[in-house]
Amino acid sequence: MKNIQVRVNGHPVAREIPDHRLLVDFLRYDLGLTGTKEGCSVGVCGACTVLLNGQPVSSCLALAVMADGGEVTTIEGLAEGDRLHPLQQAFIDYGGFQCGVCTPGQIMASKALLDANPHPTPAQIKEWMMGNLCRCTGYYKIIEAIQAAAAEKTEP
Amino acid sequence: MEKAVMEGPRSIGQSAGHVEGPAKVTGRARYSADITLPGMLWGRALRSSFPHARIVSIDLSAARRVPGVHAVISGADLPEVRIGRFLRDIPVLARDRVRFIGEKVVAVAAETPDAADEALSLVDVEYEELPAVFDPIEAMAPDAPLIHEHPERYEHPPIPPIGGESRYHPFANVCSQSIYRRGDLAQGMATAERIFEHTFVVPPVHQGYIEPHACAAAIGPDGKIDIWISNKTPFIARRQLAAAFGVPEERVRVNPTSIGGDFGGKGSLMDSALCYFLARASRRPVRMVMNYTEELTAGNPRHSGVISLRTGVTRDGTIIAHQAKLIFNCGAYGAFIPLHFLHGSVHSAAGPYRIPHIEIESLRVYTNTVPRGHFRSPGAPQTTFAVESHMDMIAGELGMDPLEFRLRNVLVEGDESAMGERFHHIRCGETLTAAADAAKWNSPKPPNVGRGIGIYERAPGAFGTSGATLSLDRDGKLILITGAADTGTGSFTVLAQVVAEELQAPLADVIVCQGDTDTAEWEEGAGGSRLTHMAGRATLIAASEMKRALIELAARHFNCTSEQVQMRARRFIASDGRELDWKSLVAWAAEHEALPLTRSGSYVAAGHPDVTCYVAQVAEVEVDRETGQVRVRRMVSAHDVGTVINPLTHQGQIEGGLVQGLGQAMSEHLLLRDGAVTTAHLGDYKLPTAMDIPELTTVLVESQTGPGPFAGKSIGELSNVPPPAAIANAVFDAVGVRLTDLPITAEKIYTALRAMEKRN
Repeated sequence: MKNIQVRVNGHPVAREIPDHRLLVDFLRYDLGLTGTKEGCSVGVCGACTVLLNGQPVSSCLALAVMADGGEVTTIEGLAEGDRLHPLQQAFIDYGGFQCGVCTPGQIMASKALLDANPHPTPAQIKEWMMGNLCRCTGYYKIIEAIQAAAAEKTEP
Repeated sequence: MEKAVMEGPRSIGQSAGHVEGPAKVTGRARYSADITLPGMLWGRALRSSFPHARIVSIDLSAARRVPGVHAVISGADLPEVRIGRFLRDIPVLARDRVRFIGEKVVAVAAETPDAADEALSLVDVEYEELPAVFDPIEAMAPDAPLIHEHPERYEHPPIPPIGGESRYHPFANVCSQSIYRRGDLAQGMATAERIFEHTFVVPPVHQGYIEPHACAAAIGPDGKIDIWISNKTPFIARRQLAAAFGVPEERVRVNPTSIGGDFGGKGSLMDSALCYFLARASRRPVRMVMNYTEELTAGNPRHSGVISLRTGVTRDGTIIAHQAKLIFNCGAYGAFIPLHFLHGSVHSAAGPYRIPHIEIESLRVYTNTVPRGHFRSPGAPQTTFAVESHMDMIAGELGMDPLEFRLRNVLVEGDESAMGERFHHIRCGETLTAAADAAKWNSPKPPNVGRGIGIYERAPGAFGTSGATLSLDRDGKLILITGAADTGTGSFTVLAQVVAEELQAPLADVIVCQGDTDTAEWEEGAGGSRLTHMAGRATLIAASEMKRALIELAARHFNCTSEQVQMRARRFIASDGRELDWKSLVAWAAEHEALPLTRSGSYVAAGHPDVTCYVAQVAEVEVDRETGQVRVRRMVSAHDVGTVINPLTHQGQIEGGLVQGLGQAMSEHLLLRDGAVTTAHLGDYKLPTAMDIPELTTVLVESQTGPGPFAGKSIGELSNVPPPAAIANAVFDAVGVRLTDLPITAEKIYTALRAMEKRN
């Protein structure tokens, strides 16, 4: 067991956890932040993407102890009150999701993209987002949503 | 100007983001794996590592001693029931025998996943291996090992006479057989001037939803059984669960959850019956979440098969006779499909063609492999790949353009389909031409670039009963309770639009709630492209009843008859000119204790619809002759559609389906060796990524002719079907390589190109 201290979505959290606790299980089952989804469990589908110290990580591969002393941002930490983040609004307006289960990961990954590159080309978006699988949309509308959020357009 | 005022705000035809969007983009939407109840345990299953074996003994004693373990059960601890969507042939836990690698043998419920896994590792199962068979053709041989000894004992509902004659278990190891005949095949073949025969092979593929199956079960002090399950048809799940538990249906409540992708794969009970038995044994709520390896190795993937086609034509390219024999690998059990046979395979074996003499035989054969299930337009993608490749091969042999050959043979208005359907407003040729025009079919192509075409027809789903309950609350909001789950297609949004349109209300004033199976009206649920049509109709009935009730209220207010009141642009207008707006009527009704006002609607299909939907696609590919690599440069998807209720979600269905079809054409193959799935994670099983998608042009050939509300048709199970054929045909056009098995890999094309070079 190990004591860890993490800032999660801006709130300090201290917990005693088993050393091998995965970050995704820590978030979902220890903290009840079930917005982060687990898909493939092997780090290829991107559904569990969260930001650890601003960088996108697959929380199904990361251990919770790796976040000790750090800052984790999940999908629950993106909106400010009832005001959605421009990416969240764009995913709704442009049809960037259907079933929604990959969406928290898609939005966190695209946030990391726009943080690093505020005005990506469609080719840059595709390359960055290829680590986030979506079976519903065929990706076209995800790419449109990210482009729109980058251009700060919220209505199609 | 006056007309616009009369119509009020339009909702039908407007692009609207999903009504449940805010919940889904903030992580608040609750999926089955997100359900946590006080005292909840983790359920896990031990699966067979043998494809076919007798269970000699099971020792659970060490597993039961693991701290934190509350229940360990095997088949002997359960009632002797088998479950299934129609054919009930799969046990909840194996009894005496395992029939595929991945079959559940023992289950545990423990306080932590670690304790559950430790307990499973201590279970001692002694097996006696039996001879196994993995190939459906080998399984039909006289000396093949028998997979089910007494299949005649398995229960199923009566078989309806659709799509030919079907029966279960006609011969050893055959789960189902369907035969459809029309005309006189022998006579047709005798009059044909040329006869062509080709055989195609299609691999198993997985639905690839990103949410693995999950469920939770809790038993209340009064015996009420609460289930949360990633299942698209909650009422049908309730019926199956009650049968498995041996309790009346009212004892089971299936609770609404978001569904993380379905595509046909989320219609079965999967672990939910077992989860209940764990809850019963442990006296605690239990959740079971499959991991993706379990999904790929022991889910319910699409049927693989061998499809043989024989077609007789005249020299001018008119189809006279057509014979199809479809042999599908059903895996170890037939429990996962919601029909008695693979209906789409029979239907699409005929294709959208005018064929006087036809014979189709479709078999589903048991093997010692993962049980197969349903996947978006079940049976059709496999069969359409075969039929549409075959049509191109025939056209090529006759020296005809593939488009011209199809246009000569497809149904036109007034024709009866090969399946005996009489459709009105047939726009098959129009849809083909629209696709070809958008793709510039006849324009010059650079070297190694080819174009291929494929077509598919599917009628809107018209079966089962749908229900809807609509209430007007004291704030003037309209609350629609549906028993249907939204699997991601946007059905909640479409239903909200139907209400908004009928009651001239802003979309934001309509709130859609999925009711549990105790509170919602019976609803057959999502599947078979039925929801917009059937649930949409039920919703429209409820909304029309609501409108009538509001007019009656207004008449009471005006002290006149309801015939003297009209509703226009959210205003109630009496014949003497008095007016009342929506808000004032709601306030008046609230004062007079008339709220909440509730109306419901129920809709039963009036029979097979007399209109259908066509999709025609053109793929343009470029082949690298050095490596065999194929790049799909562009796809055109042309659709014969009715009123498009929500252009945004409608287009979403087209795009998502097309990329699934692309995956099945290019990269997806659930590989098996000796009965074991070897593509056991999403790194090996290759779903398309954002990097793989082609440029897409969509063409909508619109008309207001659908059976759905406001003349809508269906769209969900169309665009995913033609891509494998269109792409295979384009590869042939590009470099002369004809692939008759999927997927279309660089390796296969490379090998074929090298062989061609050698021959030349």
